[in-house]
Amino acid sequence: MKNVMSNKFVIALYTLPALLLILLLIYVPITLSGYYGLMDWDGIGEMKFIGLENYVTLIQDKMFWTSTWHSFLLAIFSTASLLLYLAISLVLASKIKGSDLLRKIYLIPMLLSSVAIAQLWMKIFDPTNGMANKLLEMFGVENTPIWLADPAIALYAIFIPVIWQYAGFYILIYYAALKNVPDEVIEAAKIDGASPLQIAFKIKLPLISGVFKVTIMLAVVGSLKYFDLIYVMTGGGPNGASEVMASYMYKEAFKLNNFGYGSAIGFGLLVICLVMTWITSKLTKSKDDVQY
Amino acid sequence: MSEISTQPTTTTLPASEKPKKSYLNKIGFGFLYLILGLFAIIQIYPLVWLVFFSLKTNQEVFGMSPFSLPQDPQWGNYTKAWTSGNIGLYFFNSVWITVLSVTLTIILASFVTFAVTRMHWKLSGLVLGLFLVAYMIPLHSTLIPLFNMYNNVNLIDNPVSIVLSYTAFNLPLTIMILLGFYKTFPREIEEAAVMDGCSVHRIFFQITLPMTVPVLSTTAIINMIYNWNEFVFVNTFISSDQWKTLTVGINNFVGQYLTDWGAIGATLVISIVPILIAFLFLSDKIVEGMAAGSVKG
Amino acid sequence: MKKKAFSTVMSMALAGSLVLAGCSSSDTSGDSGESSSGDKTVVKMMHLWPEGSSNAQYTIVDDIINAYEKENPDVDIQTEILGNEQYKEKIKVLSASNELPDVGITWAAGYMKPFVEGNMFASLDDIVQEDKFVAGTLDAFSVEESTYALPLELNITPVYYNKEIFEKYNLEAPETYDEFLNVVKTLSDNGVTPITLGNKDRWTGSMWYMYLADRIGGPEVLNKAINRTGSFEDPALVQAAEEIEKLVDMGAFVKGFNGLSNDEAKGYFMNEQAAMYLMATWELPNYTTTPDVAQEFKDKVGYFKFPTYEGGKGDIDSYVGGPGVALFVSEQSKVQDEAKDFVSYLVEEWGKRSVVDAGVIPATVVDTSNGELDQMYVDILNDLGKATNLTLYADVQMSAGVADVHLNQIQSLFGGQSTPKEFAKTQEEALAAEE
Repeated sequence: MKNVMSNKFVIALYTLPALLLILLLIYVPITLSGYYGLMDWDGIGEMKFIGLENYVTLIQDKMFWTSTWHSFLLAIFSTASLLLYLAISLVLASKIKGSDLLRKIYLIPMLLSSVAIAQLWMKIFDPTNGMANKLLEMFGVENTPIWLADPAIALYAIFIPVIWQYAGFYILIYYAALKNVPDEVIEAAKIDGASPLQIAFKIKLPLISGVFKVTIMLAVVGSLKYFDLIYVMTGGGPNGASEVMASYMYKEAFKLNNFGYGSAIGFGLLVICLVMTWITSKLTKSKDDVQY
Repeated sequence: MSEISTQPTTTTLPASEKPKKSYLNKIGFGFLYLILGLFAIIQIYPLVWLVFFSLKTNQEVFGMSPFSLPQDPQWGNYTKAWTSGNIGLYFFNSVWITVLSVTLTIILASFVTFAVTRMHWKLSGLVLGLFLVAYMIPLHSTLIPLFNMYNNVNLIDNPVSIVLSYTAFNLPLTIMILLGFYKTFPREIEEAAVMDGCSVHRIFFQITLPMTVPVLSTTAIINMIYNWNEFVFVNTFISSDQWKTLTVGINNFVGQYLTDWGAIGATLVISIVPILIAFLFLSDKIVEGMAAGSVKG
Repeated sequence: MKKKAFSTVMSMALAGSLVLAGCSSSDTSGDSGESSSGDKTVVKMMHLWPEGSSNAQYTIVDDIINAYEKENPDVDIQTEILGNEQYKEKIKVLSASNELPDVGITWAAGYMKPFVEGNMFASLDDIVQEDKFVAGTLDAFSVEESTYALPLELNITPVYYNKEIFEKYNLEAPETYDEFLNVVKTLSDNGVTPITLGNKDRWTGSMWYMYLADRIGGPEVLNKAINRTGSFEDPALVQAAEEIEKLVDMGAFVKGFNGLSNDEAKGYFMNEQAAMYLMATWELPNYTTTPDVAQEFKDKVGYFKFPTYEGGKGDIDSYVGGPGVALFVSEQSKVQDEAKDFVSYLVEEWGKRSVVDAGVIPATVVDTSNGELDQMYVDILNDLGKATNLTLYADVQMSAGVADVHLNQIQSLFGGQSTPKEFAKTQEEALAAEE
């Protein structure tokens, strides 16, 4: 049996096309980008080799560490939100009435492009006409917040749409995973007299733990390199209050003519992602993955 | 099919507690549906908002509450969206580029995941690691080098560069999702097939792929949405109108000093229709496919 | 099950062959567009007036291209059109790869300088006809006495106001700063938002600051700080910042201005929720010709010049403003002569049509005698003729890095996170560091 499943030719045939694609289109460019990180280059004129100077600057750059901290916070909130999405998926997958329709509705925002989501939330957060403050006023709040304009809360305000945006994504994955749990297993548990909660915690959750771990990884890495809505909605402002790593990198490379330095930030982002992924995988490691 | 909601919990409980339990159950369910319903409203609101948005004038879009109905529905926004610029052509490009990229990504990702989780070889961990790390690489870091590379091989302003980029950049995510599922799929059937002397290809195409249809639908939905809404690559690598896609079409209404938000809204609504349909179709496949898979199991 | 798998494989195979087919067929079409189509010389041009949002500009350019191609049958002008943000991003990628289009759009001074220093833009000294441009507009596109781009637009920034709101509170367009403060106070006491400001975009707040600096310290003080013959810690510049602080404390600006984009802030003015709006003359179409805006509203809009400051050195005919976008020719272009010829043709034809057809004031001298112009345009053009000074937007004068410091400080000053002293000091340091 080992022989068929360790056929070198088949392995190469199955993995090489994809591997070549990512090596060529992701690894080669990022290596080049790391090389630009060694340059003093505005992205327009001549490059000048300056060794590790950009990276030294990076380590001492307060703004970089502030934006890293912001990205890190986003990663924590995103990961925490997974529990909510998991709970929703458990309910949806439990065959309650209307779950089919609800599931479809829940996933709809996921279809919207960032352009639309940004517009929607900018209108919700509008300090005078926006829905958020209109609601607060209804409850008698007088000094309504100015949301994206307040450096103290802009970051947290913008986390709301960012995290909400991915609700559909995770619910979809969890739902598919839960639907994958064979009915026989659940039936058997019911015959043994397990309650729905017991079934959820003792059977379903352990069975999808592999998928859950993957989503934690996706949430952590996805948050650390997150860019879209923050760039459109606050541009990292006011005055850097909502800057995250990717928006900082974009700003330096594409707006401020520091392409070399921007590349170095991109490389720093990658290293931080690697470290965080390693920590996450240590934290979520269990001896063996459960199979059906 | 609603067994969870009715009988199972009560079977082990003492008879005396039954009425109280079901009374509580009813309140609990009412509460649950209230929450589910509220969340449903939150989730469907953006779509409704977008439709309203698309029927407003620029003046209305700003200043008015996002709740408000368009005072005088501007159907002209749709006419404008459809007639100015080549939205029909962009639409067609979006469809085929998305379909092709999603198909390529899913098949390649399935190959890799199968090889990594089912086949036995020393470097499998390393290969998997390469894909994991690739997921961490920020897109904008690669943009200028990628442009240079495509330029060198004459693939700028050629849709091949778009399809290749979409496939490469979505492979890591797709593989990671597949991985979570592959680990939990039973290996017994495949092992039995090996015993029967099946070739690897037969196992992959006839056993593994059909068994993974629910996950494939899931990743197809995710890939589809990402590719459909992507614009950085198209904007950078494509210059002639001939190959542009819908998201770039939105740019048609972003001006130097003036942005036509109503027309952007209309373009967004037009562009959401096809993926909404595809999504509803694929979303059912998650469940149906499961049934097919369990027959196998 | 078998059938299903088979069909899957078939569709994959089909998809695969599609890739190959797509590859070969588009390769050939890509080649033909490379340098010449047939025996025509291809000139590639990129601009940022999409048909959808900037129909008037798009049409003018399109017409000019058609006319030019008719006169020069051996030249084929190919255009690529992008939205504003996307245009800037793409230009970055193209210049990093040495692939700029033959003809394209650039902004003035600080934006353009790196391209000139990086040897990306060709000198246009051989085609520029200085007497055709409004005096001074070419300066912003010159580096070391050479002109590198020809401007298409010229804007000044008046304060637009809602006449109806003003009448309701018995207010008149202010001419002195004290009158202006009185207007602000009256409106804010009556619960009306005096001024709308989209300071998320930052350059919007910068314009308020620049005017105060000009009215208090005269037109040169800010320019001198930027070109390093002076200092940003000049008392006038600090005082201007103090005035901004006072305005903010008075509640002069719309709530949450630091989180609003210019587009959103404009909404407050257009929906009559705010009485005043300081913006460049590119807004004029909204108050005159744009069919989307109700005539009723247009009739309510007037404008006034930024008021004078008592004891200040600036006069009322000094403006913040300057040329907007301009056309460059790529130094790397293989068809530089044709490109230059086309640029000079385009600038001239543009000047003849842009005000009347698109409501864009060109940087070339306008002949107002032909064509019907809205009264507001006539007034603005007259004001422009009488202008004693035009101060180019501070963030455009500065290099990208210092501009970012300036703009961030503007946001902090308005938001109360920087005191006027810190505001001046931070910018002085950034400017000094770059010397």
